[in-house]
Amino acid sequence: MSPLSQVLLDGIFAGGTYALMAAGMALILGVVKVINLSHGAFFTLGAYVAYALAERGIAHPGAAALLSAAIAFAFGVFLGKSFVNPIRSHPFALPVGTLACALLFEQAAQMVWGPHPLSIETGAPWVGPGGLLIRRWGAIAFLSSAALLAGLKGLLATRPGLPLRLIAEDEEIAGSLGMDVEAIRYLTFGGACAMAAAAGALLSPSGAVTPTMGRAPLILSLVVVIVAGMDSIGAIFLLSIGLGILGNACAYLLSPQWSYVALLAAVSLLLAARPAGIVVLAGRSD
Amino acid sequence: MTARFGSLHRLPLVLLIGTAAVFLSTILCVSPGGPALAASLPGTLKIGVLAPLSGPYAAGGTSFVQAATLAVEQANAEGGVSGRRVEIAVGDSQGRVDVAKAEALRLVSREKVSALVGAYLSEETIGVMEVAAAHRTVLIVPVAATAEITDKVRRDHARYRYVFRVGYSLPQWAEMISAFLSDRKVRRYGFVGAGIRWNHELAGTLERMAAAHGITPAYSAFYSAGNPAFDPIAVAAAAASPDIVILGDPGRNSVSFLKRLREVAPALPVLSVGGALGDARLAASIPLSAPVYVQAAAWRGVSPDATAYVERYEQRYGAPPVGYSDTLPYDAVTVLVAAWRTAGSVDSAVVVPVLEFDAFPGVAGTYRFDAAHQARWGAGPGTLHGTFVRWERDGARIVFPPR
Repeated sequence: MSPLSQVLLDGIFAGGTYALMAAGMALILGVVKVINLSHGAFFTLGAYVAYALAERGIAHPGAAALLSAAIAFAFGVFLGKSFVNPIRSHPFALPVGTLACALLFEQAAQMVWGPHPLSIETGAPWVGPGGLLIRRWGAIAFLSSAALLAGLKGLLATRPGLPLRLIAEDEEIAGSLGMDVEAIRYLTFGGACAMAAAAGALLSPSGAVTPTMGRAPLILSLVVVIVAGMDSIGAIFLLSIGLGILGNACAYLLSPQWSYVALLAAVSLLLAARPAGIVVLAGRSD
Repeated sequence: MTARFGSLHRLPLVLLIGTAAVFLSTILCVSPGGPALAASLPGTLKIGVLAPLSGPYAAGGTSFVQAATLAVEQANAEGGVSGRRVEIAVGDSQGRVDVAKAEALRLVSREKVSALVGAYLSEETIGVMEVAAAHRTVLIVPVAATAEITDKVRRDHARYRYVFRVGYSLPQWAEMISAFLSDRKVRRYGFVGAGIRWNHELAGTLERMAAAHGITPAYSAFYSAGNPAFDPIAVAAAAASPDIVILGDPGRNSVSFLKRLREVAPALPVLSVGGALGDARLAASIPLSAPVYVQAAAWRGVSPDATAYVERYEQRYGAPPVGYSDTLPYDAVTVLVAAWRTAGSVDSAVVVPVLEFDAFPGVAGTYRFDAAHQARWGAGPGTLHGTFVRWERDGARIVFPPR
């Protein structure tokens, strides 16, 4: 196994984890048009559900993802209906409000599960061609994010996704056509929360489960969606993978402390070049 | 479209009721496990305990307060101090210097505590030292390890004479690790930790101390806490072929990194400097294909006192202590109460000389302070030397120092 090949492969997997979180964030930003700072809390919720199942002998990522998605969908719809929809017209109220929700959830998680880190067995990696190690959680993240984003792209390209597309384009027209814009918004919010929770459940074996574990994925997913441009699903996936590879390569070739710096520097440069998102670079117009 | 979504209008109401029910049942069923703070009685002595109870360091901070609570209960069971009960007043430092200082000030000026125990992080503790010095209040430092704390006492004894550290300083920590590495016949080690001052200091000191045993670093890496690049570090650490990898991060990142390292180098031994990996529940999720060692101040079986402490802690909180962020605060309170008893007073002017010259038994051994008010830890005779354990399928086994 060449160490550099392994590092680059792991970078693809790391990018998959960014994309997994970014999928739900793109949906919220694109359709509900709000910055949801409680997105990371749903990621954490998913991880705790996976831990609770593993404790009961059900250490299956699929089961954990489904159950956590269902719970998060319920909470998300409730949050969307009772909190997000009424105040979404106030630009500063919502980020602060959703941040407060996230902190509230962290405290609740600390009360229920305790502040101490918890952990689920990772499982041995698979050995691929040339002795390359394929980390289970990495492969799951990559495939799940690809499937989720492809599904989202497919949904938006077909008739069932028409209300979402129309609301994203112009809410007034959607409303005048008889669509229940409010309901579609909070259901979308719930769906995005479900995606975040599924991501947390799938990735929970890769590290430790703690009340604050959702903070870093929140920042990265937000960055990825804003830089990629929230109306291009493909760009979100490719940018995630690119940033994963860049971060890992910098950590290996330069210094681990430079990894995050390089990643954020690349993001800043992209934003400076194209504030509307890199999809515009590919020739699309707003 | 209206018909399609119209029936869903009632869904949020159902969810609201369901969520409220779940939330209320959760709140009613959950016991926070925190300190039982009784109302102050006249004549009660108060100890101000500063630890992060929220934010990323809440795990260590909670253990800290739990152990301090246990120590106070034990002190009261033994008659308190001259017949007066002891209680703790807790300040949540949140892992932030400004908050730690503000909370220390509140504890001293409003809660009227007679002494402080804390804080948790080195940076916080440096800030709290100023409050203790300004108010001439005894401050016992359990876990903050930077050399700056005792350097300040040494340089300006008149101002900082109220500050005593029961925990090990970084040079002492490095000395104990070096002795362990030498015992394990290690020749090359890797060091991985968060890119914070504490880890850089420990790595630098360890390199100098280990060199005296003919042990050299084969690899060292410090990651960004914001987005730790564990995978490339694990690959690079394995490629450097050290005899052992030392994990300098006592928090949850040590668990995440160890999982990644085990994937690429299942036969590479690991030593954690203590903290999260001392938790049996976490250790159970780590493959033990190679040794996982954990350093601790004390462990069950080291002494009758240590075993009694672990059993009391486990009985009270439902899980055994990790041997560091709980054991040292326990001993900090125990030492303070013993000094008060000997002094027959809580007046700092009387207590400080007692702390300077007496010896105080604790869970980790007998504490004596040097001229810089640092408890004597190390690998030599007459010092507190902590312990190193190795996780096995059925629990941890003490492997060093030889018993």
